[in-house]
Amino acid sequence: MNDILTQNLLVFGGLLFVLGMVGFLTRRSLILMFLSLEMMLSGVSINLIAFSRHHQNFQGQVLAIMVLTIAACEAAIALALVVSLFRRKATLDIKAWDDLSETIVPKELEASVSMEHDEQEFPKLTPSGLDPMELPVPANFDAVTGEIAERINARTPEGVTHA
Amino acid sequence: MNSLITYMAMNRLAASLPDFFFVAQVLPDPKTISAAQPTVVGTWNLWMLAPIVFGAIGYMLIQHGVVKSKPATGSGIIAILAAVILAIGFTPNTLESWMLMSFCAVATAGGVSFLVAREPVYAALGFATAVLSTCGILFMQSALFVAAATMIVYAGATIIIFLFVLMFAQHTDLRAYDIQLTNPLLAGAIGAVLLTTITMCVTGEKAFASNQVDATRPYSQASLPAELRSEKAEEFYQKTTPSARLVPGTTAGLGRALYTDYLIAVELAGTVLLVATIGALALAQRTTEEHA
Repeated sequence: MNDILTQNLLVFGGLLFVLGMVGFLTRRSLILMFLSLEMMLSGVSINLIAFSRHHQNFQGQVLAIMVLTIAACEAAIALALVVSLFRRKATLDIKAWDDLSETIVPKELEASVSMEHDEQEFPKLTPSGLDPMELPVPANFDAVTGEIAERINARTPEGVTHA
Repeated sequence: MNSLITYMAMNRLAASLPDFFFVAQVLPDPKTISAAQPTVVGTWNLWMLAPIVFGAIGYMLIQHGVVKSKPATGSGIIAILAAVILAIGFTPNTLESWMLMSFCAVATAGGVSFLVAREPVYAALGFATAVLSTCGILFMQSALFVAAATMIVYAGATIIIFLFVLMFAQHTDLRAYDIQLTNPLLAGAIGAVLLTTITMCVTGEKAFASNQVDATRPYSQASLPAELRSEKAEEFYQKTTPSARLVPGTTAGLGRALYTDYLIAVELAGTVLLVATIGALALAQRTTEEHA
């Protein structure tokens, strides 16, 4: 309608593009990386449509349709690629294919954010009584079970990760 | 203050209702475009940096926080909300712009949740939200066909296919590659710098020409008003019947532009689709060694 709205839409298109780009750079799952790419493309189509409206002609809309076509092709091929890659290594992790890069390229630094389970609460087993191997039953029953409980608590593994 | 805002909003609403109802059908007279409203909020100023920086900080805090602490996640969400509130201050105050901006806000929220969500399915749903609201924006820009096609292709085909693949690679718990991202801090910084650059370029003085006519597209131009037509377009205008000259912005006009001025592009797009189909079939086929 006017310049200000066009400007706003251009900024918004840029915002969608940047969101998609950040997603593409950070995500490691193949499918989500592809979805980020699609989001970048939709940011571009918003730009094209805004200019089409602004200049009162169809060039932007035609270009947006072309972008859409290419996006559909990309979806088909990316889906086939993802399926065949998943068949090979049974994972969607992009890092599994790091060995395809050149040998000159230095090994990529591991992510600055590491998964730590400090925040997660693992279930703690309540001491269930005596070790069945330690027969016969001692006279000071309560004291021994308490000791076993302490041993179990001490043995609780720290920082166990489940992949 | 509140009543003042309400009064202003009602005033704007009353003033822009006719615009709103015809926005999808007819484009405004090009002559009124040049007489644009005085630019109050559109020019670049340093305060526009604030929402971008807040958003980037919020993203970094959340990505750092999901794995480390709840306070960081909370402050990240607060920072993103602050970015949204600040960004609202830069939007013009008309009904159409409010509708557009609410679509933009929903799309941005979808995009942010796509970035932040850990579960792939939630991320895909955020993507679907973003794309559907994008379709709303396209619809309000009189690009009806493109909006419908985007809705069908993205939200229909792409999302269904990818949800299908996500189910196919089903895991009950989160995988390490969903949690460990590749350097989110650096990516957030790059994104903030790029968005700042885009905003500076777009909102600068005379960032884009107000109205331009491409003389190489005579068929599309024949439907424009007389003062915007080139000589060749005028020639076509004289040749064509009134019914063939369509209002710009309609789907029929888009179809005419596609199959006259952009015919080669359409043919090329069809070829690309065919090649992509063949390629996808070839890629997805199991080889004989894999069978063994």
